[in-house]
Amino acid sequence: MVNEVLSPYREAVDAVIEAGGEALRQCYQCGLCTGTCPWNYLKKFSSRSLIHQAQLGTADFESEETWTCVTCRACVARCPREVAIIDIMKALRSIIAEMGAGYMPESLRVTLKNIAGAGNPLGEPAENRHQWAGDRKYPEQSELLYVPCCVSAYDPVARRIAQATAAVLDQVGVPFGVANEPERCCGESVRKAGNESLFAALAQHNIETFSRQGAGRLLTSSPHCYHTFLNEYPDLGGRFDVLHYTQYLAGLLREGKLKFGKELNIKVTYHDPCYLGRHNGVYDDPRELLRGIPGIELVEMDDYGPDSICCGGGGGRIWQENVKGERLSDLRLDQALATGADVLAVACPYCLLNFEDGVLTTSASIQVKDITELVREAL
Amino acid sequence: MGVEFEPRIVGFLCNWCSYAGADMAGTSRISYPPNLRVIRVPCSGRVDPILIVKSFQMGADGVLVAGCHPGDCHYAEGNYYARRRFAMLRPFLEYLGIEGDRFRVEWVSASEGRKFSEVVSSFTNQLTELGPRATGAAV
Amino acid sequence: MARIGVFICHCGTNIAGTVDIPTVVEAAQNMPMVVYAVDSKYNCSEPGQAAIRDAILENRLNRVVVAACSPWMHEKTFRKAVASAGLNPYLAEMANIREHNSWVHNDKQAATDKAIEIIKMAVAKVSRHEELFPKALPITKRALVVGGGIAGIQTALDIANAGHPVVLAEREPSIGGRMSQLDKTFPTLDCSSCILTPKMVDVMQHPNIKLMTYTELEQVEGFVGNFKVTLRQKARKVDHAKCTACGLCWQKCPEKVDSEFDLNLGKRTAIYIPFPQAVPPRPVIDTANCRYQKYLDFTAEGREGKAPPKCGICEKICPVGAIDWEETDELITEEFGAIVAATGYKPFEPGGYTELGKGKFADVITGLELERMMSPAGPFNGEVKRPSNGEHPKEVVFITCVGSRDKQRGRTYCSKVCCMYIAKHAIMLKSHDPEVNCYVFNMDVRTVSKDYEEFYEQAQLSGATYIRGKVSKIRQEGDQLIVRGEDTLLGEIIEVPADMVVLAVGMEHSEGAAELAQKLHISYDVNGFFVEAHPKLRPVETRSDGIFLAGACLGPRDIPETVSQGSGAAAKVCGLLSQDFLTTDPLVSVIDKVKCAGCLLCQDICPFSAIDSETLRDGRTVSVVNESICKGCGLCVAACRFGAANLHGFTQEQLLAEVLALWE
Repeated sequence: MVNEVLSPYREAVDAVIEAGGEALRQCYQCGLCTGTCPWNYLKKFSSRSLIHQAQLGTADFESEETWTCVTCRACVARCPREVAIIDIMKALRSIIAEMGAGYMPESLRVTLKNIAGAGNPLGEPAENRHQWAGDRKYPEQSELLYVPCCVSAYDPVARRIAQATAAVLDQVGVPFGVANEPERCCGESVRKAGNESLFAALAQHNIETFSRQGAGRLLTSSPHCYHTFLNEYPDLGGRFDVLHYTQYLAGLLREGKLKFGKELNIKVTYHDPCYLGRHNGVYDDPRELLRGIPGIELVEMDDYGPDSICCGGGGGRIWQENVKGERLSDLRLDQALATGADVLAVACPYCLLNFEDGVLTTSASIQVKDITELVREAL
Repeated sequence: MGVEFEPRIVGFLCNWCSYAGADMAGTSRISYPPNLRVIRVPCSGRVDPILIVKSFQMGADGVLVAGCHPGDCHYAEGNYYARRRFAMLRPFLEYLGIEGDRFRVEWVSASEGRKFSEVVSSFTNQLTELGPRATGAAV
Repeated sequence: MARIGVFICHCGTNIAGTVDIPTVVEAAQNMPMVVYAVDSKYNCSEPGQAAIRDAILENRLNRVVVAACSPWMHEKTFRKAVASAGLNPYLAEMANIREHNSWVHNDKQAATDKAIEIIKMAVAKVSRHEELFPKALPITKRALVVGGGIAGIQTALDIANAGHPVVLAEREPSIGGRMSQLDKTFPTLDCSSCILTPKMVDVMQHPNIKLMTYTELEQVEGFVGNFKVTLRQKARKVDHAKCTACGLCWQKCPEKVDSEFDLNLGKRTAIYIPFPQAVPPRPVIDTANCRYQKYLDFTAEGREGKAPPKCGICEKICPVGAIDWEETDELITEEFGAIVAATGYKPFEPGGYTELGKGKFADVITGLELERMMSPAGPFNGEVKRPSNGEHPKEVVFITCVGSRDKQRGRTYCSKVCCMYIAKHAIMLKSHDPEVNCYVFNMDVRTVSKDYEEFYEQAQLSGATYIRGKVSKIRQEGDQLIVRGEDTLLGEIIEVPADMVVLAVGMEHSEGAAELAQKLHISYDVNGFFVEAHPKLRPVETRSDGIFLAGACLGPRDIPETVSQGSGAAAKVCGLLSQDFLTTDPLVSVIDKVKCAGCLLCQDICPFSAIDSETLRDGRTVSVVNESICKGCGLCVAACRFGAANLHGFTQEQLLAEVLALWE
């Protein structure tokens, strides 16, 4: 069969080329992205081929592969020609999301609809957003605002992250608030799923909400919220001092304000969330925090830091099902088990959900905990 | 006004890039308006601001300085000095009552005959639109 | 009083087709100080030039304007024509009424008016021309070559053979450079030492070459033909005049340290020659590692505690008493007419590629390390062994473009030699051991010189398997390394088990390249390589006259290209040194001592360091232009706040006269 170089979606392809910019043309097809991509330990996914198709203008918008990339940035960090691979993936998706052409996974379609309607991916009512906090009362105005992420606000499993974080802050005696008018999804995965207009609406709402309350600093539990508030909201006028809680707590530890009372006596390995590590270069603070907890022996997996493997939840993948045997979280769990650690520590609600799922389905003998839970236990 | 206004432009061109670029426009027969009078200088960094002010004082409608692209200076760094010097000159010209648009600095290499002609054309058009110099300027 | 003649050229119809020549001639005749104006079909022709000469003599002209083409075209021609009439050639000026006028305008009236104004400006300028005279400067007929690799060796030998004295300065204890570390050379598989060592010996024995090893360049003053260079002879602690190179000292020295020459795969002693064929074959003492030196330092500092053992075996054993603990660094100042930088490259350090595991896995080595392994004189006596267990590797994977063509590492360029040295390694490994299988992960195989494509074919025929794709990960499984990457032609991930992985590391600028460039006043690019005066037409010259370049200090290159550049640089040096005097261009800056306030701003601004200061008898300090360095850019003129600086040929008065002429 002859592959037609002129695609039926010629305009769409032009949009991809525009998003990929000069760098798309510079790709010299070395395949380092494919080799680096963790999916290829589980199934075939050639990002190089996708880019070549984009170069030629033969992108296939009906393909499931458009939605495979977890935007973990492993390939981008190594690409010898600095091709903005994630932006190209995003552009491909945005053509589908915005123009309505081509294939989009059903579960993602539902999630996006939930976010558009209810403001969160789970489709839960906005008024229940602060239920995780129980009866705790928060001040009307607050300079430091804790933004827990939809998952840790609503999900029955991940809620313990928000609860532990609030408890730690209370115990240290840091005054903080939550959004008076419930915030909506930060929009990170919405944007990675290509829905730019929905992202803009969400960001607009959140920026206004945070500003009304006099928030100067935003404290996040999710690296995805962190990334978006830090790097993407400023373009839309939202300028806040943004901190992931691991950065904040490590700071308190350094200042001597965070003190521990208990020894945990466990072996812990730490999984770098992609949006904290590779996307934003935060590798040391979470480790410093873990090492500061009495009785924790920190061990590293085979791949860690910049070489860490994604849990599989980025780029909107958290809302899509993977069949057994095709889960990146299981790959990562194997690496964690190989260290002999008692606890796999994470610092992201998506990672927590994926690994908890993995432990459940593979009966792996390791506990999954967010760092904030370990901090709380040791206070 | 019966006759169309023809601006008079003084151009200081560096010998190595822009003067040669103007030559290249000639050899390639790329035409442009005849309003520019060229003064050859070794380097855009040789252009003393007094020469520019003097040109305006005499009645020039516009002054062009063209040199090698940054990084390509025949004398390694002359055009960097030029760039900074002219960035400071522009507000001074405005203080004297000369619109900033009447003074242009361009980088034209020896191979950019087409660019040279475009610069002269667009500058001439711009000055034609601006019209004659306002009276009452300090120079 | 100026008596100006204006010669207006038709250039066939090139000018006359658009410009009304009679009108222009008439206008020129009426310009101030013009006593003669005439037109000619072709001013540049022999009769045209003769007409100018005759007119100068007949009309007693003392200034000439030729209104014709661009000065880039014929300025020299007309200066000569003027000189033939006995006039100073710098009293001529060209008015460009062709490139800047007749060729770019169609309106005859406008082009004629413009031609008249252009001539008016030239007339105004030429009336302010002065007689200028080129100067003749003597030349020091001696060259300095910095760097004793194959580039420097070739340069020094060629200059010396042409009869000029040369100093070859090398910072290491021996000359030979990177080429001396290689086992074989592509594409002929010549043994590297076999072709290099004779040249090294030639250098040592050449009557015109003074070899200074363990020497670094400290300071450069002066200018083309007259450089004054300070060299630092580092302390060797061995009197080379006495030493007979018997070798007893380095055989008996008890202190063993990693050998830099063998890339830490082998050991050397603290008193050492870097390799057996070293030139000169005399040792130096590595004071950072010498036991006796440590003892001396300890006692000199009067520290508490147990003193290190007092060794000094070399001194005791030396039959001629050559060990000299008192020796210190020595600064030597010499004069040269020309300098050649031939400072080479260093291999890329691949530790940043965490996925390739250099440093983590012992069996991941670099191409140069493999060279040392394969060298019969190397640390493994020519046997290729896995550093992890000493066994002979059977499965060997090569990885190209490590530190080349990679923006993430800030190395965007192709290192040019890696594809070929891998082909060489594959062929050589197969000849060492026919059971070896070689796999080459590559992106493009670049074989751009004579016989290189055939050499690549030879590598393929020897059994090397070429896989197109970049390696994304190396991991350990058992005692093997698993090399993983996408085979981009298959579109599949493949994994190759390997006993040894060879990284084809690229070439980087040498250590201290930027500092050397600053001392020499030459430029270097974003990658730290020196910049030639013109990438095509002046490949071994720099923009600083009298300073030349050769070899890999300019960028990645192989031995044949390096050697040709060495010879090229030598030819340039010989061309310079074979003259008795240097003629300087008189279009340079001049500073009026009366007006100069001594702020010395011009010194900071001058890109060529051509301005010195001088204290006058009345105690004032003023700037003085060194005419032999000045390139005539005029930066100092525009910068001088006191109007003290001026530029011959483009004086302030001349440029102002051109402006004023437009409104006269």
